[in-house]
Amino acid sequence: MKSKVILSIVMVGLLALSIGLAGFGEARAAAKLEPYEIIMYVIGTPQKDLDLVSAELSKYLKEKINTTIKLRQFDWGDEYNQKMQNIIDSGQPFDICFVASWAANFLRNAHNGAFLPLENLIEKYGQEMKAVIHPLFLEGIRMKGHIYAIPNNKELGKQSVWRFNKKYVDKYNIDITKIKTLEDLEPYLKLIKKNESGVIPISADRTFNPYLPFDIIGESRTPYGVYLDTKDYKVINKFEAPETKETLKKMRQFYKAGYIRADVATTIKGDDEKTGKWFVGKCDTQPLADIMWSQTLGYPVVSTPIHEPIVYNESITGSMFAVSVTSQNPERAVMFLNLLNTDPKVRNMIDHGIEGRHYKLVGDGVIELLPEHRDYDMPSFALGNLFLIYRYQQDPPDKWEQFKKFNAQSKKAPTLGFVFDPSPVQTEYAAVCNVADEFNAMLYTGAVDPNVYLQKASKKLKAAGGDKVMAEMQRQIDKWRAENSK
Amino acid sequence: MHNVIRNFKKNKELLFMVLPVTVWLILFSYLPMFGIVIAFKDYKIHKNGFLYSLIYSKWVGLKNFEYLFKTDAWLITRNTILYNIVFIVTGLIFSVTFAILLCEVANRRLAKFYQTTMFLPHFLSWVVVGYFFYGFLSIDKGFFNQILKIMGKEPVLWYSDPSPWPFILIFMNLWKGTGYGSVVYMAAIMGIDKTYYEAAMLDGASKWQQIKHITLPMLKPVMIILTVLALGRIFNSDFGLFYQVPRDSGALYDVTNVIDTFVFRGLRTFSNIGMTAAAGFYQSIMGFLLVLISNYIINKIDSENALF
Repeated sequence: MKSKVILSIVMVGLLALSIGLAGFGEARAAAKLEPYEIIMYVIGTPQKDLDLVSAELSKYLKEKINTTIKLRQFDWGDEYNQKMQNIIDSGQPFDICFVASWAANFLRNAHNGAFLPLENLIEKYGQEMKAVIHPLFLEGIRMKGHIYAIPNNKELGKQSVWRFNKKYVDKYNIDITKIKTLEDLEPYLKLIKKNESGVIPISADRTFNPYLPFDIIGESRTPYGVYLDTKDYKVINKFEAPETKETLKKMRQFYKAGYIRADVATTIKGDDEKTGKWFVGKCDTQPLADIMWSQTLGYPVVSTPIHEPIVYNESITGSMFAVSVTSQNPERAVMFLNLLNTDPKVRNMIDHGIEGRHYKLVGDGVIELLPEHRDYDMPSFALGNLFLIYRYQQDPPDKWEQFKKFNAQSKKAPTLGFVFDPSPVQTEYAAVCNVADEFNAMLYTGAVDPNVYLQKASKKLKAAGGDKVMAEMQRQIDKWRAENSK
Repeated sequence: MHNVIRNFKKNKELLFMVLPVTVWLILFSYLPMFGIVIAFKDYKIHKNGFLYSLIYSKWVGLKNFEYLFKTDAWLITRNTILYNIVFIVTGLIFSVTFAILLCEVANRRLAKFYQTTMFLPHFLSWVVVGYFFYGFLSIDKGFFNQILKIMGKEPVLWYSDPSPWPFILIFMNLWKGTGYGSVVYMAAIMGIDKTYYEAAMLDGASKWQQIKHITLPMLKPVMIILTVLALGRIFNSDFGLFYQVPRDSGALYDVTNVIDTFVFRGLRTFSNIGMTAAAGFYQSIMGFLLVLISNYIINKIDSENALF
């Protein structure tokens, strides 16, 4: 009996001691972090001064979170995708990499377990960034309840515009604000075709696609999705929808009338922008895009929206950072991402480089680029919270307010937050993608008769197992709706 | 054992010379071969690195191969094999013919010039060739359509009309490959003992007779070896030729979609290392079997010229 009492006293004592020790340990960890080096892959043409900026950034991070950083950069497109895929598949250790719906196979790699689920780490080490990133980003990014990447806070939605060559808008005194649909555009195309020889009315390449009111599920090149105003979330094949047929008939009419180039379906990138001999094109916009376009092109352009900004899964996964499952210290990686999204000093250093070398401050949050800037020219949108970046002198003072307004206007697409997992129907999905590649460009540009080819495409999709893919999408989306009470 | 050591000592210079290639083969061809198992697994990445992920991923049997045998499988397999057969046959005929012709050019300097010119396309990437060729086929500014215009004919939408493409692809392949292919044959012709020709000439044999009865029979072993090796790659296709040159035009898929482009299009964004490995495994194993079978047949007919 006595021995039992002693035992329980000892047990209680041990328990108290261990709790005390644990608390002590935590306090110490917060006060002094182990030194650690973060390896981070970013996208963009490799810059000469990357190591220099890495070193300068490391100095600052050392004080903040006892961390140094090594930035590595791969070029746009295949180079980034292939090199990242090799690094990921071979299980090389690294901490952070840039990912997007269009870079480093985000969906596939997240499904395959290459990236760490971050929601718990965000709770612990990322409260500040959670407060500043637009909630729709973090809501939409979830896959099976997990957050596999931290979206870079920027414009939320996707909005297509008709972009006009201002020269002709002025010459013919066109009120572009009244133009939304292809029908609205038609009289002006006719006018240009008649009066301006050598000017192509619609400047387009093989990626051209007219606006259609669908929210595509999974890969954007496949035709499966739901109507943007859907209530019942029924998955449809957009090639079979009447809206598609109507729009494509119009495109066919334009094509036949010569409003669009005859070889548009195989044009990879036209030289219209360089020659300036075009009237209108379709683009995705962001706030202040007209100014930016006019600067890059060297002649003025104006644009008018085709629809209100819509937040698709694709638009919020346009630029993100993921933490690798091979990271030796994911806590530190999240701490760094937290700084990248909240600390203007970190954010601007990674974006503009070193003050006094690559740029100089000329006002409160306004900078002027120095000649050395050419050795450190980074893609701003792919490097964290956009709203912290210093403005250029020529930018309007309310630049970021305009972005915030744009975000406030944006409307949610119905399947925002739903991510399709193609693995149960992978065989069919691969075949469907092949069929989509075969028909998309021809159909959307009007190069073929939609009356014939829409049916042809649908038939081929069926043969490729499209119905099975649609059924699987419906199953997953119904499950998602039930779980999220949509 | 004793024999092996003696053999080694006797040939040490030769063995030393093949050492780099042997090391290269072991490192880059034999060692990675165990990775074939990925084709039979649902590969998931684990933080303990590649080997751990490989071993602990789930076995899925032949599931990764299924997509290669669905729907378009017949079309892409047919395209791949037929194109390759035509490439092998035309490549052989043209390479040998050009090799013989070049060897007959009396002016050595001119012969070298021709050879270099023919060799040049081999070094151009298909992307470059694709753009270059676009200059000929482009609808409004293309060379061919300009000529048609001058002749008063309707321009042709080259990239939307599949019918000329089999010929275009065969021509492009020849244009790029003939110079390179003929080099081996030229070397073989140079190696033929000149006394055969002298004897033939004394007997009054014409050039044609010399080629028919001396050059071609002497080239036979080389032709057989190169053809059997080419058969081993009959399930693989030159991705650049079938993707870049037709500018990935959807209207041409019926005649340009081959196994490699099909795999690329299907897995481009949702790439799955298991499925890509399965495609590679399938192509290699079929090629391997074809080499074995053709070698077996050659062994039956003419055992001297068999590979092994």
